[in-house]
Amino acid sequence: MCLTLESVSFSYPDGPSILHNASLTFEQGAYYLVRGPSGSGKSTLLRLLCRLEEIQSGNIHYKECDITDIPPASLRRCVAYVQQMPTLLPGTVRDNLLLPFSFQSNKEVSPPSDLELTGYLDSFLLTGITLDSEADRLSVGQSQRVCLIRSLLLRPEVILLDEPTASLDPESAEVVLGKAAELSKQGITVIMISHSEKTPDGIDQIVSILDKGLVQQ
Amino acid sequence: MTQSIIEIGPLQLSLCLGFVLLAGVTSFKYKLGLGRDLFIGTIRTFAQLFLMGYVLKFVFGANISWLVLLMFTGMVTAAVHIIRGRVSEKSIPFVIPTFLSMIITYTLVTMLVTGVIVGAKPWWTPQYFIPLAGMIVGNSMTAISICLDRLFSDLKARREEVEMKLALGADYREASQDILRSAVKAGMIPSINSLMAVGLVSLPGMMTGQILSGTDPLIAIRYQIVVMLMLVASTSLGTLIVSGLVRRRCFSAAQRLLIR
Repeated sequence: MCLTLESVSFSYPDGPSILHNASLTFEQGAYYLVRGPSGSGKSTLLRLLCRLEEIQSGNIHYKECDITDIPPASLRRCVAYVQQMPTLLPGTVRDNLLLPFSFQSNKEVSPPSDLELTGYLDSFLLTGITLDSEADRLSVGQSQRVCLIRSLLLRPEVILLDEPTASLDPESAEVVLGKAAELSKQGITVIMISHSEKTPDGIDQIVSILDKGLVQQ
Repeated sequence: MTQSIIEIGPLQLSLCLGFVLLAGVTSFKYKLGLGRDLFIGTIRTFAQLFLMGYVLKFVFGANISWLVLLMFTGMVTAAVHIIRGRVSEKSIPFVIPTFLSMIITYTLVTMLVTGVIVGAKPWWTPQYFIPLAGMIVGNSMTAISICLDRLFSDLKARREEVEMKLALGADYREASQDILRSAVKAGMIPSINSLMAVGLVSLPGMMTGQILSGTDPLIAIRYQIVVMLMLVASTSLGTLIVSGLVRRRCFSAAQRLLIR
């Protein structure tokens, strides 16, 4: 077991219950799809897994270890979170891809070479984009793929994708979904939120977040 | 060149009310609705300044160190209360760190100015300590409130960016470095601008006061230079320390952004 939630409850201050007594299990290398109505707590579930939100009761384990016992930076290196809206900083694509390596907690990880980075750009079908391209010239779809590459460079074991295809054109969406399936085949646990009715190829299990914070796996 | 000051008597003082009356007539004529505020403001000006005048007279006359420091503490408390009112974010507890850092930093800066630069003996001589500390606290109050307001609003507006960095392994310092820098800068800009404008656009209040009381303008400008540089140092120190401490409170121990 890779990630487990045991009787987890969460609500925002003065808000309704987002998760109520939720218990879930995510296996290593499996591909999960999280579904639920808007505002049901799909994003919150992913944010709880990487401690961008804190649970109010219950516990979450990552590889048998309570996530509150793992230093946040170490947890987030293993459990990568990719936001719904791609966030890139002003500068080149290279600057953005190497951003995580400027943080103290990642100093022990050696940054990838230009050759390696270019390989990633090619494999994500970012044709016409070079490492020296300005990040603010990229389309949303291209930015989303750059953000996904940036998270993968730290070699996570779990990747949390918060509606990665929400604002993408069909072509970019197909690339991202294809990559997500490929990652799970490589042994990375993929937990993805999707608003689409269609179930992407390669999904192993669907997690449904129902009304009133109830969860079904 | 030291002349005795021309005293303003009660009659001259009441003549000044004509200025307020003029403003009141303007407000009435153009329906600005400021009559009530003008009236209360005038009463408060008279009451607060007379009260301060008597307090200062008492403190100067008593010449007791703890009384001077007590008054200074009162000034800082009032400044923190005003900062609290001006900063719109209420979910982050910033009052105690602001108060403590203002008290410690500004006592040290004022001590340095009165004891070392001006050479007052003892350093807490009320005639020097209170006006100089008052200027430091007053200017820093504006700088700190601008800085904190900016810090909170940028942390909210740039939440996605901060969380993106946190998710990639940054700690709270790394995730909010740019935001802190621009908040400190915003707080310091007014005092840096006043360095540029002083003597060209305006004659500062303290220098004007000294000149009116008969001090040689060449002595008055030296005091003013000390004051201007002291204000730049104290606003930069104040904004840096306060924003650094308050920024820590915007994040949890698990490097999570608390402000919503």
